Amino acid sequence: MKIEHAREYVVENLKYALNPGSIAVVGASRHDMKVGFKVIEGLQKWGYQGKIYPVNPRSDKVQGLPAYPTVKDIPEEVDLAFIAVPAHIVKSVLEDCVAKKVKIVVIATSAFKEIGREQLQNELTQYCRDNKLPLIGPNLVGMGSPYLNFNCGFIPYLPIKGPVAMISQSGANLLAALGTSQKDHLGMSFFVGLGNKADVDFSEFIEYAGRDENTKCLSIYIEGLDSPDAFIESCRKVDKPIVTIKVGNSKIGEKAAFAHTASENAGTTKEFYDEVFEKAGAIRATTWQEFLDDSLALGLQPPLRGDKIVMITNGGGSGLLSCDHFERVGLPLHELAEIAPALKNRIRAYMPMFGSPLNPVDISGTASPIMYKGAFRQTMRDPNVDGILGSVCPSAVTDVPAVIDIVIELYDEYKHLGKPFVMECQGGQECQEAIMKLRDHGIPAYPTAEQAVNAMAALYKYGQLKKTTKK
Amino acid sequence: MYLWQTRFAEKYHKEDAAMSEKQKNYLLGTEQKQEWMRKGFFAPRGLGFLEPGIVSLDSAELSAFNVVKSFYQNYPEVFNMAYISEKTGLKVDDIKKRFSRMYHEHLIMFVKNSAVSTYGFGLYWWEVKLKEGTSPEFKKKLASWYQEKDEICTGYETEGEFDFFNGNHMRTLDNLLYGVMGPWRDLPEIEYVHICPTRRDLRDNNVNQFDAPGDGYRKFIWSKEQKDAFLKHQNKIDASDFAIIDAINNTPSIGDMFDFDVLAKLSGLDAAQMKKDIIEIIDHRRIVVPMIYLNFMKVGLTQQLFLVRLFQNVPCYRKAQIVDELQEIPEFNSVAEFTDAYYDIYLQAYTEISDLDALRKKLESYAEVEDIKMATAPRLFRRWVARLDDENGYWEECVFTDDINQDRASAQCVKCRFSGSEEVK
Repeated sequence: MKIEHAREYVVENLKYALNPGSIAVVGASRHDMKVGFKVIEGLQKWGYQGKIYPVNPRSDKVQGLPAYPTVKDIPEEVDLAFIAVPAHIVKSVLEDCVAKKVKIVVIATSAFKEIGREQLQNELTQYCRDNKLPLIGPNLVGMGSPYLNFNCGFIPYLPIKGPVAMISQSGANLLAALGTSQKDHLGMSFFVGLGNKADVDFSEFIEYAGRDENTKCLSIYIEGLDSPDAFIESCRKVDKPIVTIKVGNSKIGEKAAFAHTASENAGTTKEFYDEVFEKAGAIRATTWQEFLDDSLALGLQPPLRGDKIVMITNGGGSGLLSCDHFERVGLPLHELAEIAPALKNRIRAYMPMFGSPLNPVDISGTASPIMYKGAFRQTMRDPNVDGILGSVCPSAVTDVPAVIDIVIELYDEYKHLGKPFVMECQGGQECQEAIMKLRDHGIPAYPTAEQAVNAMAALYKYGQLKKTTKK
Repeated sequence: MYLWQTRFAEKYHKEDAAMSEKQKNYLLGTEQKQEWMRKGFFAPRGLGFLEPGIVSLDSAELSAFNVVKSFYQNYPEVFNMAYISEKTGLKVDDIKKRFSRMYHEHLIMFVKNSAVSTYGFGLYWWEVKLKEGTSPEFKKKLASWYQEKDEICTGYETEGEFDFFNGNHMRTLDNLLYGVMGPWRDLPEIEYVHICPTRRDLRDNNVNQFDAPGDGYRKFIWSKEQKDAFLKHQNKIDASDFAIIDAINNTPSIGDMFDFDVLAKLSGLDAAQMKKDIIEIIDHRRIVVPMIYLNFMKVGLTQQLFLVRLFQNVPCYRKAQIVDELQEIPEFNSVAEFTDAYYDIYLQAYTEISDLDALRKKLESYAEVEDIKMATAPRLFRRWVARLDDENGYWEECVFTDDINQDRASAQCVKCRFSGSEEVK
């Protein structure tokens, strides 16, 4: 339901959704394939330290814990009620939660507005609003934070710690992102599924993420905005990069988005959302991969202040893929002589005679770790350079681990200069390992030239946005 | 054609507007079905046909049942207190108190039976006989396996001429053979297994079901003598408690069973719509029968199971006549007719409060009866997918499984999961 502005009581209570001292799991099950079982199993498995109160009217014990017939029967305070019961039970549970003075409720249950029960969803939402009980959902998968070992929902992964707050309407795509976090080391501060977002809106999680000290970048998957003005207002309040992906734009996608999370897109166009995101100062990704790649870069690196990017590579082909793509994304590379004539001469010392000091700088397939070190150091130190894109294309003589160690060492030495450093490692298993190691040390690294260029372009866009829309 | 059938046919035709105008749905009870019979010489039945309309168990049309099933544990007023009060002469507060006590002592459970044939399932009962001298440990182990196996929606452990009598709903007989029986059927301790596909389900636990003849559908059948014997035999359910169960199970219409305003208040759903839908599904289309189940184990009763074999030259119309006659005996609390099976008729009576000799003599009075097997059942694993094993902490845990799109004969088949942490095979 629409809101005019992010509501302070909601933003303030979101801490109970992500760091609750006690949780009532309504619909707690004894059967190991039911959602209500998985919620408790996940909380225990990932190390939740607070109290868990199963609610089940058919049993006085669930998974070894004392169970209660209703939320009202729980003897202690309840911060969060996670509701995983059929839709027809939700109204009664919400009434119990209000009576119990629960701080926030999360409704995983489906079968509301997305199947035509808009009136019921709206009535429940209004009831919660009248009683200042924030409601997240319905129709969602859960939420959590690796910083708190908190994984609440039917979620098989806990992401690794990192800078990205992942806010998603889609449960499936949220789970995909969490899986990617584990597999590809995309670190997260917290994650949440919003589902139908009947009450708690994007804008409120945006403001919460703005205040969250672990969050450096907000990544938002959107199927529809009920309150675009509130979204814009909250984005502009937050001095952190925001990456969005908006789906449901195609003719059939519009219907699919409604059936999925009751998102209404009738009458909206791509241009409408372009304008919303522009006003909000958010970066719009087109594809899922770009969304994740941009989020990683913006979470780890400072904004790119200007377009003087130097690419250093040992692979001419990689350099060509990159410079072509830079031009495609509207950020053409400048020749090194144009950026810093002296740098062109200095950098020659770190390449063989058949290398190329243009831009990309090709230090050749025979480049040693020493050559990489010299070329990177010179480039980082040069005040005319705004950002560095490094590339490793292993040949039989390339010592990839040694090059990566050098990159990490130099990055740590010079990161105070505030220049973005992005890496591309294209090749086999050693490159995959290199990418993980670089990411673990705060350097966004990618397996293809285009991904690395997109990441650099996102850093540039954010640099430009900071100059215009961000306070 | 009944009015509901006309309405349903019209609705279905609208939904299928894209199909040819000549497309027919052959709904049960319609002229179209008669057309089919003239062409096809066999009645349409099963998933490939849609009659009398597929209604999933979580569909909006079954909301009233689902709301009651979710809330009756804490809110007995989901049942029609005014009606029960009028029928029993008890005050509403007293009814609620008595009902809650019976539930919390696990004497009763609100359940439903689905008309499996119209859902496209087969309802297969199967009798298991162990070899003479089989150790009690083996029987105990097998009983535990049956208890945990979610596809076994109902099952008795018995003592007497056979050892188990279990029931499954399955769409594919192979899946019963491979998925449910495969793991133990060839063990040396097993003497035989008889599979008994159900042709008619007339009565279950004293409540008349879909195939009860005449106007018997949804009647709660007890003779006065047996009711008196029941009340005398145990001290957990008195006459007033019994009257409450009797009132709920005997409502003329399902619309009288629930208080739809209470359902609406609890769920936020529309009372009138819920009532209209549930009347359509249960009174008119007979897809599901909701009822209060009396947990015989908690009141010190056992069930006496009768498996009756007719001579194989008895024509099926005569078999149906015999079954219809037997179901008029109220002491038979469950009555079913089998088809294509070793046995033809299944009957059940409470051991302690029935004259078993008289019942047996009645069966033997039919010249068509070739053999009768009897066994006593002290234990029921589940009642229509709802677990009854209080001792394991699973009271009323409901697990519905379906073998649609599964080939349990294949080693690669993705199987339904089970209540335990691992598949027992």
